[in-house]
Amino acid sequence: MADKITLGYTHLSGCTGCTVALADNYAGLLTLLDKYVDLKYMPTLADARHVQKVDVSFVEGSVCINDKLAVQELKETREKSTIVVALGGCACYGNITRFSRGGQQNQPAHEAYLPIGDLIKVDVFIPGCAPTPQMIRNVAVMAYLLLKGTKEQKDLATAFLTPLMKLTEKNEACFCELMTQVINQGLCMGCGTCVAACPVNAITMEYGKPNGERDLCIKCGACYSQCPRSWFSFDVVENYEAINEAIMAALQ
Amino acid sequence: MGAELGKYKSCVSARSTDKELLKCAQDGGIVSSLFAFALDEGIIDGAIVAATKEFAAKNPSKVILDSTNFDMIEPWRPIPAIVNTKAELLAAAGTKYNISPNVALLKEATRSFGLDKVGIVGTPCQMQAVRKAQLYPIGMRDVGASIALAVGIFCMENFPYQSILQLVEDHAAMKLESVKKMEIGKGKFWVYGKRGQVVQLPLKVTHKYEQPGCHVCLDYVANLGDISTGSVGSPDGWSTVFVRSKIGDSVWAKAMAAGVFETQPIEKVKPGLELVSKLANEKITKNKATLEARKTFGVGKALRNPYI
Amino acid sequence: MSKVVEISPTTRHEGHSKLTLKVNDQGIIETGNWCSITPVRGVEKLAVGKTPEQVPKIASRVCGICPIAHNLAGTEAMEASIKCEIPRDALLLRHILQLANRCHSIALHDILILPDFYIPGTETKINPFTAEEPVRTVAKRIQRLREISQTIGQIAGGDCIHPRNTRIGGMYRNVSEQAKTKMYDLAKEGLVLSHAQSEFMIAVIRNYHKRDFVDVGGMKVPMPKDLGFHDQGYLATHSFYGSSSLDECPSWDIRRFKEARPWDWYMGEMEISLEEPRYPIGGTTKMGTKVNPQMEACTGIPMYDGQPVEVGPRARLVTYKNFDEKGTQGQNIAREMEYQDCFYEMIDCLDELNTSGKVVADYIPDGDGSLGWASNEAPRGTDVHIARVKDWKVQYFSMLVPTTWNFATCSKALTGAPWQLAEVIMRGYDPCVSCATHMIVVDEANKVVAQKLIQ
Ligand SMILES: Cc1cc2nc3c(=O)[nH]c(=O)nc-3n(C[C@H](O)[C@H](O)[C@H](O)COP(=O)(O)OP(=O)(O)OC[C@H]3O[C@@H](n4cnc5c(N)ncnc54)[C@H](O)[C@@H]3O)c2cc1C
Ligand code: SF4
Ligand code: SF4
Ligand code: SF4
Ligand code: SF4
Repeated sequence: MADKITLGYTHLSGCTGCTVALADNYAGLLTLLDKYVDLKYMPTLADARHVQKVDVSFVEGSVCINDKLAVQELKETREKSTIVVALGGCACYGNITRFSRGGQQNQPAHEAYLPIGDLIKVDVFIPGCAPTPQMIRNVAVMAYLLLKGTKEQKDLATAFLTPLMKLTEKNEACFCELMTQVINQGLCMGCGTCVAACPVNAITMEYGKPNGERDLCIKCGACYSQCPRSWFSFDVVENYEAINEAIMAALQ
Repeated sequence: MGAELGKYKSCVSARSTDKELLKCAQDGGIVSSLFAFALDEGIIDGAIVAATKEFAAKNPSKVILDSTNFDMIEPWRPIPAIVNTKAELLAAAGTKYNISPNVALLKEATRSFGLDKVGIVGTPCQMQAVRKAQLYPIGMRDVGASIALAVGIFCMENFPYQSILQLVEDHAAMKLESVKKMEIGKGKFWVYGKRGQVVQLPLKVTHKYEQPGCHVCLDYVANLGDISTGSVGSPDGWSTVFVRSKIGDSVWAKAMAAGVFETQPIEKVKPGLELVSKLANEKITKNKATLEARKTFGVGKALRNPYI
Repeated sequence: MSKVVEISPTTRHEGHSKLTLKVNDQGIIETGNWCSITPVRGVEKLAVGKTPEQVPKIASRVCGICPIAHNLAGTEAMEASIKCEIPRDALLLRHILQLANRCHSIALHDILILPDFYIPGTETKINPFTAEEPVRTVAKRIQRLREISQTIGQIAGGDCIHPRNTRIGGMYRNVSEQAKTKMYDLAKEGLVLSHAQSEFMIAVIRNYHKRDFVDVGGMKVPMPKDLGFHDQGYLATHSFYGSSSLDECPSWDIRRFKEARPWDWYMGEMEISLEEPRYPIGGTTKMGTKVNPQMEACTGIPMYDGQPVEVGPRARLVTYKNFDEKGTQGQNIAREMEYQDCFYEMIDCLDELNTSGKVVADYIPDGDGSLGWASNEAPRGTDVHIARVKDWKVQYFSMLVPTTWNFATCSKALTGAPWQLAEVIMRGYDPCVSCATHMIVVDEANKVVAQKLIQ
């Protein structure tokens, strides 16, 4: 179908959990592929072996700067895609690879890992570890509207994607971001969202305010970006009903 | 009256027809009755509410506790909990004027609690959190579609636990254990004792105890709830109810048909929507000013604005 | 004269790997090297100095397809080191979580191998994403099976990709009665669907291997009857779960284990002398490219009793259920046969689960530096983690993951097959490559470090 968007998926130093999250749209994945997205390149789910020219590229994993192939693939991905989406905590913020310090057989020199935004310009962030199927779905549908929709749909997609584009300005997010950008800024109101968002139970609410056990935090950025006081877009969220309905209808 | 009241389909003054329930409820018993009805009808299969230590002692598997030693949890400290019956709802009814991180349970509700259709009550900011989680489910896998009924409660401000302790024990000179109910209304902070004593504090003294995060809050009447409710605008013992979303509309219609509530047109009651509107505007104006002031808080340095 | 051809990267599996193949004039593989080229994130090294609670959460993120096995083996290795026994209901929840993960993984593997096969009775290869029947019904069933398994895993484990509920000493939370009923209903539905699904898959797999020729990128390739056969042994530690005790599981004895570096095992520098642009999709590596598996490989070569062995579904069935089908066909069929067994086992665990039982040990020691190990049967085979914890700090951590075992075994199994079918053989192992980037390692004196640790 001519009016689908083309999608590429570059896999760097990630665990494929992000890929599984994409596949966990279950029947919705089939609908996405039927109607909106033409999967051009994705070594796990599709057969294509080499990066291709596409509208949107998802990149999973951080990049090992000691591995020539990975760096080259990342650069090629940027050159060949209109929109680059950093998918998952590893690509956005480094996640567990921030802890890497090399010294392991059989490639002891693989020690330096960077979030992809440190090497290329990234357009959209989807943080979290694993990122959620619904977030991936929403971004895919919005990217479709942005590139193929009517003027009105483009505006909606732009408004929706703006906060996720703004996230790309920072290459770090962990519990510390919640401390420095929300709590220290006097913005936390104790809703508890960060607790629910954390994939490793690193946050507890103590007397109504979050306490982070930094020894557990893996630096995925979910708590910070899910917190309603890290960023909040009235324009978009006040229309939650219409937008949710539109996304659900698109997947029928 | 404009944007300050949010989008809504209808607005009434209402009260639960369940006399027993009204005894435990804060105002018109809207929240507890709605959830009890929704549980009966299978609209939800559990609800997240703000329970108490007594509830937690009886139902340890239904709560998330913080790290405090259980014996040291003070009276009036809310504990987010999942309830499945009317009796449990009643045990958690009534307003606790300090932070109850209800959203912390939202994901777990769909996991170890096994809920498919979750009800949640919360302040306007918690409704914002819920809707953001539905639209941008970054760390909230498989949660959005299971939110079956979100009830928002009006909120001018909230307090850290220690503030309530100081307000009640120092300013109102009452022991927290002996407090039956607290209420903010008619420009006063009211503390009702179990033995019948009533103390009122001017709101002026409460301001310094407010949670700072509340001072950037731009929503008074829970614009993002399916249904939102509060006491303001309606006579004593009655609640003002906004029905806002399609879900809210359908649940409210069913509850009305089942005789769960008695209502009066909001236009007919005193003080009516005008007061709600006035307070909403006051809150929004005041907090917009705070946001403005944050821009020039330092010398050439701003504090962060969360709204984009 | 033998030529060298290379398929890089290989597709439809997890992670990055490649196949470097020395073939004869007929295109039959003489020596095959299958090696991982995924960068080594060094999880075993970064674990040192961290808390035993954090390390299994990181270990989970070594692989998103069998994260559960890594998380559980990691957790249980720590528990073995600190000598902490966990309550029975916590163990049952772990079992349920692990079985759910296996079911989702089998279903995912179905999607990945289907494009190699034909719709029986036709010359049409299967595109799992086509909207046409009969494939669409199968694709929907696969996705529903995955949904069922992931949802069960999510309830028992807090999250299904990377579990949130496991902790040292048990689980953070038990589940409610309501949640147990939900898992029960889902498992029952899964049982019915998995029956239909495995029947379909087995028919498709048998049909493929019965053919005389198969098509690969327009090339007509003869199908050998012994595709993927090898003479290596098998290793499995439990028919479903795993173990951390030699008494319970004498088949895994760390003293019989040894690991070699790829240097001793893979081929050295060579030049590509055969290029096939028709090979799907994007062709093979360009003529004249220099390759060097010895240097490029990111994994070690583990050996049991001096031999690489096979781990995975067939190894489990051979060890515990007298399964006797060999080669790639046998491997794929074994995997399908595990489907329903997993759901039955899950139902048994649910029957036993007491939702009001406690799930955290009363006492969790800080550890005295003793060696602890735990094996967990990941979807693709035995996953063994080894740890030493002292004063609530990890002193040593090692992961011996399924695909690392299989790299060497599969490389052997390539011999004798037409090179165009190398990826088909490799996919039979359902490789998860990212996790396989590590090594337990032999020290200078060529002694297994782990062996020294025991003494
Ligand atoms: C901090 C705070 C400030 C408020 N400010 C105003 C105001 O300015 N004007 C106004 O009209 N109304 C305000 N309310 C709402 C009001 O106090 C009642 O909660 C509301 O009218 C519902 O009463 P009800 O009889 O319908 O509910 P009930 O049947 O009594 O149920 C109330 C529900 O709210 C839950 N709850 C109690 N405390 C909290 C909490 N801290 N956080 C989240 N959930 C909680 C309870 O668990 C219960 O389920 C405020 C409430 C709170 C918590
Ligand atoms: S973000 Fe999480 S799920 Fe995604 S690749 Fe990284 S570790 Fe895996
Ligand atoms: S605290 Fe949790 S959610 Fe936040 S960055 Fe760390 S691991 Fe992620
Ligand atoms: S999500 Fe944000 S506002 Fe809510 S409790 Fe956590 S830090 Fe505070
Ligand atoms: S004033 Fe606003 S931020 Fe504070 S508790 Fe109420 S709704 Fe939340």
